[in-house]
Amino acid sequence: MSLAARRLSPLRQLDLRGLVIATLLSVAILMPLIVVAVWSLTEIWRWPAVIPQKFGLRFWQEMLGRTDVWEAMRTSLALSAIVTALSTVICLPAAWAFARLDFPGRNAFFLSFLTVYAFPKFGLYITIATIFMGLGLIGSFWGVVLIQLVGTLMFMVWIPVSAFQNVDRRLEEAARDAGAGPLRVFWSITLPQVLPAVSAAVLLTFVNTFYETEVAWLIGAPEVRTVPLLMIRFINSELVVQYGAVLSVILWLPSFLLLLVVRRFLGAQALGRALGA
Amino acid sequence: MSSADPASGAAASLLAAEAPVRNDRRGLWGLLLVAVPVALVVGLILWPVALSVLDTLSVTTPEGRRFSLAHYRFFLSDGFSLRNLWLTIWVTAVSTGLLLGLSLPIALYLRFSHSRLAGYVQTIALFPLFVPSILLAYALIRTLGPNGTLDTLLNAVGLPKIPSPYLTPWGPIIGLVWDNLPLTLLIVLAGLGNVSQAAVEAARDVGANRLSVLRHIILPRITGTLLVAACFVVLGLFSAFTLPWLLGPTVPEMMGPFMRRTIIDVDQPTQARTQAVVTFLFCAVFAWFYVRSTARNRRENER
Repeated sequence: MSLAARRLSPLRQLDLRGLVIATLLSVAILMPLIVVAVWSLTEIWRWPAVIPQKFGLRFWQEMLGRTDVWEAMRTSLALSAIVTALSTVICLPAAWAFARLDFPGRNAFFLSFLTVYAFPKFGLYITIATIFMGLGLIGSFWGVVLIQLVGTLMFMVWIPVSAFQNVDRRLEEAARDAGAGPLRVFWSITLPQVLPAVSAAVLLTFVNTFYETEVAWLIGAPEVRTVPLLMIRFINSELVVQYGAVLSVILWLPSFLLLLVVRRFLGAQALGRALGA
Repeated sequence: MSSADPASGAAASLLAAEAPVRNDRRGLWGLLLVAVPVALVVGLILWPVALSVLDTLSVTTPEGRRFSLAHYRFFLSDGFSLRNLWLTIWVTAVSTGLLLGLSLPIALYLRFSHSRLAGYVQTIALFPLFVPSILLAYALIRTLGPNGTLDTLLNAVGLPKIPSPYLTPWGPIIGLVWDNLPLTLLIVLAGLGNVSQAAVEAARDVGANRLSVLRHIILPRITGTLLVAACFVVLGLFSAFTLPWLLGPTVPEMMGPFMRRTIIDVDQPTQARTQAVVTFLFCAVFAWFYVRSTARNRRENER
């Protein structure tokens, strides 16, 4: 075998493998999503036709006219905004302290956030729910906020801590030597350097909270009605397929925005690290 | 510094006296700044878990509370609970196996291919990160459910309908694998970063075939990574709720839906807590391994 052929053959094999992987993945990943997209644009689709009998936006009009959809959207947005804001206010100073200050128990406290991952989530929520039952916090908006806040700690502390640790200290010292006060140094030197990582953490927190279903369902239902919970209702008891399909597309919007931002600003690897990979 | 110089000696002692004070104050500030998040961890993770463990290990009698294994004895003697636990273990094992089995070839391809297809494969494999599980549940029902799109397509080419996985254990398995593929892949991919192209090429040059390169060069270097990935996946799957509840069977059901039904519909909080503690115990080994390796990674990064 000539050298060139030896070099070529594994390449060609690899490509065949890639083709198989790409095809299988495309079918498995994209087919369910395309099905939902098509259903949302369908007015009549009777079994066993492969192509819907009638396309149209009638169900979009109906869904956008429903008050429960808007109500759920408002609840979900409010919930995510409040949880994200609270998480930012309590976690970022803590992250700065972990990165910059030395205090007793620093390492132990820092590693304590790992307990968020150490217990299977739903079991943990059950143990919290039994306590909340005694406190009358079941069905309360703020009860949901409190538990969802715990779920955000890991992102909002760990990601910003590495960001604060990676800040170039010499720049800060130079600014201080030039006469800048501590706040000025933080605002003009530190903050711009940590901003990308911190905004990624904030965005992930917001989107994750928006889609959070288990706490909302266990602690919040039936009083707290978020978009995912409305979706659960549609899956369980709505006979018109299109309602669920249209709501799915609406539900996907925040993820789509996240996708755009991630493609623009973050690599896949960075995202994986952020999510605990 | 000469001790004959009283002025500088005084300054030095002043500094020495000042330094610890300043550190103490900074330490206090540090504690204050981390107080709220740490309090949340203690109040909403450690405290509820500890309370659940204590409460389920005791019974209240007229004379007061005493230690008892009654709740666990009930769980372990109740055929229904055991079947639910067994189903959960089975679904978790199958899904974890599938996830590792699917991620490894994809990751190997992505790591060692220079083909232009690799970019596409990576994009499509990571796409589920951007699909919320509740949307996925709905999409899978429409696609694989009875008279779903797959049935429609099979019918159109004259094939019989599939036995639908919807409301069988395969429903949650498909959903959970779909949902967890990107993160598993990212973990495995990160592990493969430690396998150098040179080592693989050297082995190939001395005549090793693909399989022996995988067995002797690649696998030994990523065993740790695969274990971490498995632990991460098991922790997520074992108490999964949304997908098993929407896609899985009602009898038997997985621990997530089972716990919710016990606490809300059956109104037996103590039983639900017992079930929760059982899931904690089962996951303890995986959790310990995962947390230890994450903490270790963290320490290495800090250095």
